[in-house]
Amino acid sequence: MKIFALVFAFSVFAFGVAMMRIEVTRSGRAIGQLHNEVEVKRARNQYLELEVLRLQSPQVLQTVAQQQLGLRRTLPQNVVVLED
Amino acid sequence: MLKQNGPFAYNAKVRMKWCGLACLMAPLLITLQLFYMQTFRYDEYSDKAERAIYNYLDEDRLRGDIFDVNGKFLAQSVRTHSCGVSKRYVKDKNKTLQFLSDTLSIPKKQIENQWNRHRNFFFVAKKIKPDAYIKLLPSLRTSVGQGLDLTPEYERVHPYGDSAIDILGAANSKNLGLSGIEQMFNTEMSQKISKRRAKRARRGEVIYDRSLKEQRSVGSLYLTIDILAQYYAEQALEKAVKDYEPERGLILVQQPQTGRILAAASYPRKDGQALAFQFTYEPGSTFKTIAIASALDAGTVSINDSIDMSGRKWEIARGVIVRDKQHEKDALTIPEIMAVSSNIGAGKIALELGAKNLFYYMKAFGFGTKTDINFNGESKGYILPYNKWTVVDTATKGYGYGIALTPIQLIGAYSAVANGGWLMQPHLVDRIEYADGRTDKKAEVQKIRRVIKQETSDTMKKVLEYVVQEGSGKRARIKGYSVAGKTGTAEKLSKEGGYATRHHVVSFCGFTPIENPQFTILVILDNPAKYTFGGTAAAPVFKEVAEALLTMQGVPPDRPEELQPPAKNK
Repeated sequence: MKIFALVFAFSVFAFGVAMMRIEVTRSGRAIGQLHNEVEVKRARNQYLELEVLRLQSPQVLQTVAQQQLGLRRTLPQNVVVLED
Repeated sequence: MLKQNGPFAYNAKVRMKWCGLACLMAPLLITLQLFYMQTFRYDEYSDKAERAIYNYLDEDRLRGDIFDVNGKFLAQSVRTHSCGVSKRYVKDKNKTLQFLSDTLSIPKKQIENQWNRHRNFFFVAKKIKPDAYIKLLPSLRTSVGQGLDLTPEYERVHPYGDSAIDILGAANSKNLGLSGIEQMFNTEMSQKISKRRAKRARRGEVIYDRSLKEQRSVGSLYLTIDILAQYYAEQALEKAVKDYEPERGLILVQQPQTGRILAAASYPRKDGQALAFQFTYEPGSTFKTIAIASALDAGTVSINDSIDMSGRKWEIARGVIVRDKQHEKDALTIPEIMAVSSNIGAGKIALELGAKNLFYYMKAFGFGTKTDINFNGESKGYILPYNKWTVVDTATKGYGYGIALTPIQLIGAYSAVANGGWLMQPHLVDRIEYADGRTDKKAEVQKIRRVIKQETSDTMKKVLEYVVQEGSGKRARIKGYSVAGKTGTAEKLSKEGGYATRHHVVSFCGFTPIENPQFTILVILDNPAKYTFGGTAAAPVFKEVAEALLTMQGVPPDRPEELQPPAKNK
């Protein structure tokens, strides 16, 4: 009986280990997908940030200022620097 | 019921024991074998298991960012993917091609053409943006996506377009620098990080296991370039190119007190081809500033001296005649020589100084030596040793012929004149900031050597201001600001020998304001299609850039009297 009890306990243990391995693999797959998702979202975010920078570039600002608002660059003598 | 004491009962017990032992023998042998394998042949089998189960995913190479002096992004690596097709694994060609066409917005015909051209594998698209990647990824597990392959790569993005691309250079999809600053600082900026361990799964699917932690030490570069100054320089250069159609052109801006390069625009604009460091040329009259400053500093001439110009003709040696056609005077003072850009005057002053002294000053000003910027392809220019100079060589060097120099050398020399006589170490990179918090300061203000005395510098500033006020540099004048500079119109060497009279390098080099110089600016237009001079083509470009920079920095006028409206006559 003792031997059978031992075999039974071992079987339960082996089953537990197998289940754990399955769970680890499942979690690993999920983490892998999430990692990928994070990477893609990070890249997407980066592109959006770079687009904001592009829109703030002197080329774009000058074009908008000149064509849409009719502004032009002033001469240095018109700049007044206020001291603290 | 079984008999407890009979032979059968004895036999049954024994048999059960033997059976039990036989059953346990197999796991025991396996355990022993495992023990043997785990203990004595651990390395061999663990290695085999590792290779069978796990896949090491190379995370490519990390690359630092590049910023301008104010911390604005100039270059950044963004993760993208390339999509390839392995023809032999594609189940339904039509469906797959249609899917790719819809997802990647590429005409189906174009993909079909590629399909027909390649035997098995081909790339449909590279640098796929994240939005398209999100759509492509789930398809890999369906029949339509069979045979598709998404390979990770990087795209080097420049938010300001190709502005400063000649300085920045390029990096490839594997994050390796190929040219310009990207290549120069490849070691500091890029790091191959350790691989990520993942289990093998079907169709390239990743089952995350663990990341191997590694300290990241990739560096980000902060340049001395101000992207706004760079933009103004590029804009002015584009306009000049449109007006005069030169083969090449460049504008270089330096802070004379620190040696920092604020802008370096080149035409044509190609990654890693910064003409400021790579272009060598005979400077012509802009070099007169160097020859005359040297002579004044050595004391071989004084500012009040008058140089004989009789006949506006000078025979340096037998058969070698120099003429001045731009003035009618029989004698000129030094400021006048500079204002009218007299070759006779500059040549005579160079001869008076002597070959040895002139050579010494030229070397002291940094000509014939590379700067420590070490930009890829930087030239050191060319100066023949003085003991090989003839009288004619010495005289012609006085007005900028018979030597080859780079723009970075010339602007350094003008900055020395502007800042009181110090040759400053030019800087293009301010600092490197590493991911682990370290900072490597590169642009410490460094005086290389004193080239001319403070008094010589003061005198030369007045002379160069006179050139802009009364001489050939009038078109560089800025209302309300003092400007000093010198024009240059140098004939180019002809392929047939001698100089080509219709091929020029026109230039202007100067600084503003004079008392506390903020910018030294060099403008060069190489071989303009339209016949022009330094004073007519390059000086207005200098003015345009200087005005924009003075506005940008909010530099107050140092000649406010010029801004007052003229008094009305009663």
